[in-house]
Amino acid sequence: MKKIRSPRQKKKILKIRMAAAALAAMILVLTAVFAEAFAPNDPYKTSAALIRTAPCREFLFGTDNLGRCVFSRVLVGARTTISATVFLVAVSFLIGTIVGMLGGYFGGILDEVMMRIADVMLAFPQMVVAIAVAGILGGGLAGAMIALGITMWTGFARLARSHTLSIRNEPYIEAARLCGVSPVEILGRHILPNILAPVLTSALTQIGTTMIGISGLSFLGLGVVPPQAEWGSMISEARAYIQIAPWAVLFPALATILTIVVFNYLGDAVMEYREL
Amino acid sequence: MGSEEIILGGIQLNKTYKTKERIVRPLQNIDFCLHEGEILGIVGESGSGKSTLLRVIACLEKADSGKLLLHGREYTGSSPSFAGRYMQMIFQDAYASFDPRMKMIDSLREAGRRNTRGAAGKNCDAAALREAGRRNTRGENSKDCDAAALRKPHRRGGTDDSRITEIVREVGLSEDLLWRRPRELSGGQCQRMSIARALCGGAEILLCDEITSALDVTTQAQVVQLLQRLRRKEKVSILFVSHDLALVGSLCDRIMVMKDGVCVEEGSSGKILGQPENEYTELLLKSLILL
Repeated sequence: MKKIRSPRQKKKILKIRMAAAALAAMILVLTAVFAEAFAPNDPYKTSAALIRTAPCREFLFGTDNLGRCVFSRVLVGARTTISATVFLVAVSFLIGTIVGMLGGYFGGILDEVMMRIADVMLAFPQMVVAIAVAGILGGGLAGAMIALGITMWTGFARLARSHTLSIRNEPYIEAARLCGVSPVEILGRHILPNILAPVLTSALTQIGTTMIGISGLSFLGLGVVPPQAEWGSMISEARAYIQIAPWAVLFPALATILTIVVFNYLGDAVMEYREL
Repeated sequence: MGSEEIILGGIQLNKTYKTKERIVRPLQNIDFCLHEGEILGIVGESGSGKSTLLRVIACLEKADSGKLLLHGREYTGSSPSFAGRYMQMIFQDAYASFDPRMKMIDSLREAGRRNTRGAAGKNCDAAALREAGRRNTRGENSKDCDAAALRKPHRRGGTDDSRITEIVREVGLSEDLLWRRPRELSGGQCQRMSIARALCGGAEILLCDEITSALDVTTQAQVVQLLQRLRRKEKVSILFVSHDLALVGSLCDRIMVMKDGVCVEEGSSGKILGQPENEYTELLLKSLILL
């Protein structure tokens, strides 16, 4: 029989879930930041004698086709993947939120233009646009981030706009206008704090998708340029010899999955907590 | 009863909303005037245009045609920020009129901030008015003159924290409530706090939009007493919108009866309640007696 829980109990459980997910995410981020300190070997050092060594005490995740330590590369790759993802989501969140708030609050031509641009961006599948843009910009992490960012801000803009529209005629906003508060201050002091939670929650859930995007572009050779360690490019490089050295694909793939699961779980927990 | 000086007026105000299905005219050729220190009641059934009239007066909505006058000078088409220098709106839903995330003190500081910027008093405004009048006769741009003349009243000479505390006590609340958020206050406390906010902003006109409809009878009486006290002590003029004719009759000096966007009758409270000339007013009074 299913146990019935009071809202307070549910909130408590969700708080614990949120704290656990936040802790896991924090560990991942800290690991990425201090990757080089944790890495037992040089992630870029090649060795003909150590090619495709199976996992052992010295090389926890084995070595790749060039004899590089997969564990060290996964750790260093975390920095590239996680920092690029967080940076991209943060920039898209910032641009999208500002654009959405401006459009939603002021309306008129500004809103029309911004939202039609967003509509055009959303008319194409995100990955197709990203591949095309990354192809034009050439390889490199910056190119991959621009390629994904071009379409990503639109989601935040739409969300921020709809929330701004729903509160812009609230009496407290009208009261602020009557009190002579400037539009910029209204946006910053009244609208942003009141729409931040849903948009921030959306940003958290976007981390997983973005990570897949960056890794996907790297996998296709449109992201990080070798020998720089990045999970997608590591999987791409190692897939040629997956039958001989599966660990070279397995561990970067597991790291990607684990990170996506952690951030998605955090996003879901925050969303559920807010909805309760 | 207030003085003879007309502080606020409207001439031939019209407002139309167009929806896909129909055209709604909440205001049709509305004329009104509010004297200094007077309480003018506006009554009518839901959808009669009472709230729209207040929103047009506060410049939260623009009238399609007509003129709005403040101290005898036109301010039609001004911004809410400009109108807010003189008048503040007290909303029906007091909770919704405060930012749910902000503490009361911050909301009141925000309202009072503009009041502290200038240093002038009421005399200074009178001087500005006279100066603007002189310039106007010289044929200068009348709108600029109006803007210069209608600088903020600053009747309370700045709203710092000590003044905010004083105002909060004046409306019968404890200063401890300033450190609470809207939802931590009762409906009556929140409504008093919104009156305090209006006073912090230096308003000389209060636009009360059904402010007692969500309150219990006891709290209603307290809020009404507060408005009467403010009119007496602070000389504020009040536009009091309500559908409660009995309440309006006991509080207001004059009453304006609205129906479908038209002012059907206007007169002193005694006349409207005692000898109504319009059928609709009679109907409203009959429904009051039936209740």
